[in-house]
Amino acid sequence: MRRRSLSILLPLALAACSRHGAAPAAATPSPATPPLPPYEVRMGQAVYQRYCETCHGTTGAGDGFNAFNLDPHPRDLSDPAFQKKKADVDLTDAVQRGGAGVGLSPLMPPWGRTLSKRELADVVLYVRTLARPAQPR
Amino acid sequence: MPRRLFAISSLLFLAVLAVSPAKNALRPYRAIQREYRRLGLARARSLKAAEAYRQRPVAIQQIWLPSLGNRVDRCTSCHLGVSDPAMAEVSQPFRLHPRTAHTADDLDRFGCTSCHGGQGLATAEADAHGSASDAGPPMLPATHLEAGCGRCHADETVPEAPMLSRGRALMARYNCFACHTARGREGFRPDAPPLDSLPVKTGGEWVRRWLRDPKALDPNATMPRFELADQETEALAQYLFSASVPRDLSRRVSQAEQEPKGDAANGKRLFSEGRCISCHTVEGKGNGSAPELSTIATAATRGWLLSFLRDPHAFYPQTRMPQYHFSESESRDVVAYMEEELRDFQAPKGLLDPLPVNQTLAETGRRLFQRYGCFSCHAPTKAGERFGPDLDGIGDKKAASLDFGRRSDLPRNLPAWLGAKLEAPRSFAQGLRMPSFAFGAFDRRAVVTALLSLSAQPVPAAYLRSAAPQPSMLPGGPVGALIAQYRCLSCHRIGDQGGDLSTAPLAAEGSKVKREWLVDYLVTPYTMRPVLEERMPVLRMPRDEAAKLADAIESFYVDPRVPEDPFAGRPSADGDAGEGQRLYVTLGCRACHQLSNAGGYYGPPLTDSARRLKPGWVYTWLKGPQRWRADVRCPDYGLTDTDALRLTAYLETQTAPPAGAASAGGAR
Repeated sequence: MRRRSLSILLPLALAACSRHGAAPAAATPSPATPPLPPYEVRMGQAVYQRYCETCHGTTGAGDGFNAFNLDPHPRDLSDPAFQKKKADVDLTDAVQRGGAGVGLSPLMPPWGRTLSKRELADVVLYVRTLARPAQPR
Repeated sequence: MPRRLFAISSLLFLAVLAVSPAKNALRPYRAIQREYRRLGLARARSLKAAEAYRQRPVAIQQIWLPSLGNRVDRCTSCHLGVSDPAMAEVSQPFRLHPRTAHTADDLDRFGCTSCHGGQGLATAEADAHGSASDAGPPMLPATHLEAGCGRCHADETVPEAPMLSRGRALMARYNCFACHTARGREGFRPDAPPLDSLPVKTGGEWVRRWLRDPKALDPNATMPRFELADQETEALAQYLFSASVPRDLSRRVSQAEQEPKGDAANGKRLFSEGRCISCHTVEGKGNGSAPELSTIATAATRGWLLSFLRDPHAFYPQTRMPQYHFSESESRDVVAYMEEELRDFQAPKGLLDPLPVNQTLAETGRRLFQRYGCFSCHAPTKAGERFGPDLDGIGDKKAASLDFGRRSDLPRNLPAWLGAKLEAPRSFAQGLRMPSFAFGAFDRRAVVTALLSLSAQPVPAAYLRSAAPQPSMLPGGPVGALIAQYRCLSCHRIGDQGGDLSTAPLAAEGSKVKREWLVDYLVTPYTMRPVLEERMPVLRMPRDEAAKLADAIESFYVDPRVPEDPFAGRPSADGDAGEGQRLYVTLGCRACHQLSNAGGYYGPPLTDSARRLKPGWVYTWLKGPQRWRADVRCPDYGLTDTDALRLTAYLETQTAPPAGAASAGGAR
């Protein structure tokens, strides 16, 4: 009798302890959908589309709806050489203080009081994604 | 013998007892914490930081939130670097939390699972993330993460969560809440035309085609495809044509049918001045919140078009379409233009022939109308009972409780199930009734995100975020009737009511524009922002009505923050228009605004600001444009009072009407 109770108890006790050892169900990826850029980049894109796109254009080439009115023309943000030359702080500074603030055309307004710090950082992050791949020479 | 047995069983018992502490010592989080310590030591920039990493005890970390449903989140036992800037680019589980609306600084208020989902109490990865088969609902996948925002943020638009906002907007636009209810949506009013005048609007063959696939006839259609069998289509068409048309409406249509043909050329002009594409589209160009018009004359009879244009609200009381003040002959001209150009030239003849009604089939159709829930949108009951299942808690459903039916191809998780329900709702089993909405992949993802935000239990009131309803700012009486007739609220916002097509909310309009200008503008509006497709239509408003509206706006819609005379009590140098002109140039205002035949077209033209804008408004605007609406694009230059006043003084000297203002509205 004692032997039988032990033979019942032992596997039960072991089983109770081994719950965490159960193999997890295979995690299956959700059905194919286009990959989503990171959250910050998406938020930056929204800021860009709202405040920048009219002049700098959808692809950043400086060919937006309003660009033809502007002399000098808006900066081509997709230019790889420009992207390489400017550090993130330079871009943030130009957006924040505007063209006049960094010794360029005043037609680029200062956005420092309009956009939050986070929006500024996000839009710079998005501008970085606009760089065209550099042309091999 | 019994003694030996006792010894063996004691040893076994000890061994069993030892399993638990041994397992605890071997728990994965302990190894992870030791790894974090090594990583921290390697990345530490100072001795002090290194010492802090070294002294971290190896122990379970937890956030306990008694006020948020007694939530206990132990996620930070492994995700140790969530608020550690030194861990910005390392791989998970140690990475710094991204810079989102709620950062790791908010951990003590919200924990982790309130946004991310998953099992906060668990300390093993598979259990916590919920991929173990016996755990609760799993974590939200990154693609639908914004669903977490929607648990507390109940408004349709949540600025920091664009995907959620899009999903919620789509759910409202496609009338999901007409069939399904959800918390806070009990009073939802579907937007669909009543069908009682359908027999005088169109013909049998057109209705058949529409029932087969609404989007094939009108890409802007919000009506879903019901995947009807041919007999069902026929029966439903028969039922719709058996409706008794209100006598007044059928008389109007048949009388209009007899009227002579109008002048299509003049109609074309009226059509473009009427800015129909501010809501409709023509060959895809336009806003698209109202039907595509490029084949409208193929879809509706001439008599209906004429009588609808003259009084849309009699046919469709909830429509957002304004009642244009066209004369009898002007509306004939517009319809003549539609018949001449806005038609499908390839369409077969007889599309608009009425359908002879077979009563037996019509009776079958009536039952189908009930069976497929057509009434939910087209003839909602007063009590507002819903046809489909309740959506509350759909975001908390466990995968094990979902009926995948025939869809053995799907991954067994909630987002995949919801996505497939939207994409092919009838594919799960036979006899299902939900129609298909033909969303693209992106929109489907947005709607699934909005669905996942619908929790079973509401969050505690202290955590719920939704804008409190404002008292109505709409006047009654004749002015209220004019606002309703011209459907100002279809585009403009007044308080928290109205649409958002226009960039100009009207609640402070009386403090903004001068009355005389407003009267002229209402009679013959001109383009303020050429960058937008949505522009103020020429409603052919008579001058006395315009004056009545302008008077009401001048007296009701004023903002106490706007001073009557901003120059009062200021030194006279502040009114120096010459200095203002200099500022206008150096600040670069011309990048967006038109003035003296130069400048951009992004902001409104300023050539007639003296006639249009009140100086108090200009001054207050310049002191902080975002005070009126958080997303105003005019940048805040942080001007001093003096600079703002000088600019105001300069703009007060501008009186030339903007180019095209006179011609846009025609002589009237």
